[in-house]
Amino acid sequence: MSDELIEKVKQMIIDSLRIEGMATDEIDADAPLFGEGLGLDSIDALQLVVAMEKEFGVVVPDAATGSTVFASVRSMAGYIGEHRK
Amino acid sequence: MICWMYPGQPVAFTDTYNNDPEFQKIALLCQGATGFNPLESDTSAPSLTRSVRLQLHGVSVSLYRSGLLMSQGAGPDLIAGHSMGIYAALAASGSIDSGTALALTCRLGVAMAGMGEYALGCVIGLTSGPLVAIAANNGVYIANHNTSRHFLLAGGRKEVAAALAEATVSGAFSVNLFPCDAPLHTPLIEAIAGDLRRIVAEYRFSEPRIPLVEHIGQTTLAAATIPAFLVDELCRPVYWETTYRTLRSRGVTRFQEVGAGSVLTKFNRWIDSDT
Repeated sequence: MSDELIEKVKQMIIDSLRIEGMATDEIDADAPLFGEGLGLDSIDALQLVVAMEKEFGVVVPDAATGSTVFASVRSMAGYIGEHRK
Repeated sequence: MICWMYPGQPVAFTDTYNNDPEFQKIALLCQGATGFNPLESDTSAPSLTRSVRLQLHGVSVSLYRSGLLMSQGAGPDLIAGHSMGIYAALAASGSIDSGTALALTCRLGVAMAGMGEYALGCVIGLTSGPLVAIAANNGVYIANHNTSRHFLLAGGRKEVAAALAEATVSGAFSVNLFPCDAPLHTPLIEAIAGDLRRIVAEYRFSEPRIPLVEHIGQTTLAAATIPAFLVDELCRPVYWETTYRTLRSRGVTRFQEVGAGSVLTKFNRWIDSDT
């Protein structure tokens, strides 16, 4: 997957979750998004689901898929790369 | 125009503020008013249920954060409370003092704690239509209408678990069950409404100095309407999305969440993106 896509995913996370004062280079592409790392929760997850669909046309159908997809920025970019049309 | 928002009961204890002398003062106040010390959440006042201790912990954090903001010269133009956040919201409005907010939280919580084994069920992803049907199918209630896709169910533990299972099959993105000792924000609370009214009647409420918008009908509470609201709100659902939109329409441009976590801020973010 391209560095460009990883950057886009980071920016999408910052924009959709309204994370103020954070730049893309402050997000580790391999760090966990939930719990440790960015400390996201299931409310954030649904916001990311909608953002991914809107920005990339990619659907995360359920929480089970989401727990894999939202493991890290890199896993999100990987899923988008595989599923976008 | 700035609105301070007071969230309801947290789902877990936090020790984030334990080393702050100002939080320690609130903890002492809480211990004096209720017997529960938020600095020792796991071991303090074992006679109180976990639900009541969580409620007291949440109110203590909100009171602490209110004081911190005020000491920095900040102040709201409007106040809103979600669920059990009403007690700290009343204190921030000037209607009651902090000790009364903690005592009320404790006494109402204890009165409800004897009701039995209940649960709250968080459902994320479904819209209201299917969830209303699921609630009816399983004999539970929608206790919180937080956004177009964030709801809280309440009822018996088995029934809530069955409703969450049906919600999952129906395409909910996420479901979570939280055991509790009262079916908050449901008509089931009406069984003990008389007891709750008697407790509330022992307290005196001053006219709020800062307008406080409630989460059922989005009216501005007055000293005369507060006692009835405090019982009514436990028997009826929270309508947060409508409350947020009302606050926006009344000119609020900035929202500050005053409590543990940022759940209301996240609901607001969703509502904005949904508009």
